[in-house]
Amino acid sequence: MSGKNKKIKFIVGIGIIITAVVALALSGFKKDYAYFKTVTEVYTMGSRAYDHPLKVKGDLVKGTVVKKGSELNFQIIESGQTMDVHYIGTDPIPDTFNNDMEAEVVVSGRLAADNVFKAERIQAKCASKYEADYSGNTQASL
Amino acid sequence: MSEFGHILLTFLFPLTLFTAVTAFLAGRNHRESMYQAARNGTYAIWIVTTLAILALEALMLQGDFSNAFVYGNTNRALPGFYKIVALWAGHDGSLLFWTWIITSFSALVVYQNRNKNRELMPYVILTMIGTTVFFTALNLFIANPFDTWMQNINGVMTPVAAADGRGLNPLLQHPAMIIHPPILYIGYVGTVVPFAFAIAALLTGRLGSSWIKITRRWALVSWGFLSVGILLGGKWAYVELGWGGYWAWDPVENASLLPWLTSTAYVHSVMIQERKGMLKVWNMSLVIGTYLLAIFGTFLTRSGIVSSVHAFAESGIGPAFAAFIVFAIITSIGLIFWRRKELSSEEHFESLVSRESGFMFNNLLFVLATIAVLWGTLFPVISEAFTGEQITVGPPWFNTIMIPIGLALLLLTGVGPLLAWRRTSIESLRKSFGYPFIASVVVLLGMFFFGIRDGWALGSFTISFFVLWIIVAEFLQGARIRSKNAQENILTAMAMLTMKNTRRYGGYIIHIAVVVIFMGFTGAAFNTETRQEVATGGSFNFAGYTFKCIEKGHSTNDNFRTDFVDLQLFKDGRKVDDLRPAKRMYFASKQPTTEVAIYSTLREDIYVVTVGESEDGKMAILQIYRNPLVMWVWLGSLILIVGTILVLIPNYREKKRKPAAQQTHARHEVHA
Repeated sequence: MSGKNKKIKFIVGIGIIITAVVALALSGFKKDYAYFKTVTEVYTMGSRAYDHPLKVKGDLVKGTVVKKGSELNFQIIESGQTMDVHYIGTDPIPDTFNNDMEAEVVVSGRLAADNVFKAERIQAKCASKYEADYSGNTQASL
Repeated sequence: MSEFGHILLTFLFPLTLFTAVTAFLAGRNHRESMYQAARNGTYAIWIVTTLAILALEALMLQGDFSNAFVYGNTNRALPGFYKIVALWAGHDGSLLFWTWIITSFSALVVYQNRNKNRELMPYVILTMIGTTVFFTALNLFIANPFDTWMQNINGVMTPVAAADGRGLNPLLQHPAMIIHPPILYIGYVGTVVPFAFAIAALLTGRLGSSWIKITRRWALVSWGFLSVGILLGGKWAYVELGWGGYWAWDPVENASLLPWLTSTAYVHSVMIQERKGMLKVWNMSLVIGTYLLAIFGTFLTRSGIVSSVHAFAESGIGPAFAAFIVFAIITSIGLIFWRRKELSSEEHFESLVSRESGFMFNNLLFVLATIAVLWGTLFPVISEAFTGEQITVGPPWFNTIMIPIGLALLLLTGVGPLLAWRRTSIESLRKSFGYPFIASVVVLLGMFFFGIRDGWALGSFTISFFVLWIIVAEFLQGARIRSKNAQENILTAMAMLTMKNTRRYGGYIIHIAVVVIFMGFTGAAFNTETRQEVATGGSFNFAGYTFKCIEKGHSTNDNFRTDFVDLQLFKDGRKVDDLRPAKRMYFASKQPTTEVAIYSTLREDIYVVTVGESEDGKMAILQIYRNPLVMWVWLGSLILIVGTILVLIPNYREKKRKPAAQQTHARHEVHA
């Protein structure tokens, strides 16, 4: 086997693998993507908001959580604008998500025509937990 | 005590700078006095950092809530043990812990090489302490765990203490979470050592394989800790988070996987350099890349540039980290370019079917996997740069790419080690792979007839079987020859074989672990789940089990209230387990947690979560998952630990009654 021939074989082999991975990445993208938006950004998307899967970030509005069995409805807010969310997923909702706590919430799903967000997944983390807010005092170093 | 900590950090920063400068001068001018100063500086840095850690621990144990970090991460009712480990629960403390590990490693490396590698060591110290300078600066100026709450009383700033702290995040109050961060950190920080030697090799021009041999164990230890750290993280997520899985391609998870992927590539490709003097630039790049990805992972989890569910606080350390990473990339690339001529290969690839090519394809796949994971993780950032909109990809995207790459790599774990160096003949291929191939086809058909239709699962199980056959055959073949020659029984022979060539057979054991872990992963293709409502005295069936609800009740203690459901699990009419899924409400943090109940067997896990109750409060709503083969993932992890330890220990040398001359000869051979 000549040196040149050998090189071509290697290049072809490597080329095939790279092409395959790129093809997988592209096909995977068609199956699974979502626009990551805040509540206000969703409202500026216009009709596009209804055409794509979305992930929407906002703060849970305290006291809006309504649970009926495994049904769940709530509101999220960001820069003064609110969004109604109806949970249609099957996974248990995270512990950090409950009515008494200020939690930053990311809901994944689609916006329905009636402007209610149909969420298949809820992610939540308590926004205030680790931030310093010890009333009346300021944090300072020595 | 907070003041004491402040003083320590304020002193530590100039000390690290001083040590870095002396190390540089020691390398440049070969001055012995400077070298001594750099070494002593390294030890002093370790002592000061250790004192700082002890000061913070003392603050937490005392419950000094004037300290902001103590206030934010502990409370009075917290058990003492958790007060100690709260060190790495919060942002600032965990960063100090990071600093402590790197200073410990620096001191250890300096001690290990006190009489060795005189040329390389100054620059090794420079690189390691240079990294420490950066982390110390972060600790001192941006993320200082010794900051206190101050109040202006009559014009004088006075420390004030709250009555009680906010407590440790309940999700972190779990044994796996206690050991997961330190193990992962050791893995992360361990990547600094090979990196430091690589940079020293580049700076001194001593680019032979000596830096690689010196750091082989460090690279493996770091790899082992990263592996175990990642798997423990999965275990923690599985038993603590209550969504029935252990891996979700979350950015924080990906951050730990990235350096693991490149470091796995490295521990393989390094064998080619040791043996054939090839791929020098490549190995250098992998070592540097692994270090950068470890730093990048720390950055990713703390900067908040991509949204993650994990409870890490976002903080202001992002820009500093970005600057540090860019500096490290430019320096490394510059150094490699400067030494490019000395880094050229001594030999070339000869055949597409050879050990070298096997390693090359292994590396290609690992690097592609790294790029894919990095790309997917950063896709929101990338897409925003180009389109102005953040677009995310989730688990389906990652699985689409990573499952095929994973299976190709799995196949290579079986095939690669049996390929001959330089080139492999068709004849030897048939000899090595003929029987296992035929047997695997039979297994594949068998599984198909028994009703398995998932293509990836069929592929994964078939390849797993194929690889296991090959590895077991390797062990048996070696042992049979040995038992014949040494008159040992086959088991002794197998053990002796392993101990005499730990790198090879330890490697095989790690490969077996990988196969077992992959079987566990594949079980996920057959997951099923159900949602059931049940009251005290009620029962239901799922996945061949009967669930009887004995009691739906609640209890309280000082720390939390528990709402539980007592279940009895029956299979074929026999009781197999008691399960108590529950929800806890912690009083201090007002945070609820889910307490999962799991019935675990080799065959499957029955994973029960309480998700709520009916409106009248009489029925508990349960989510139940049947997750086949999950235990194999944890079992494989244990095998992996055993394999890694084996690879790390030196080969056993047999004491036989040989003539003296022959003994000396044998010893030389081992060293060669």
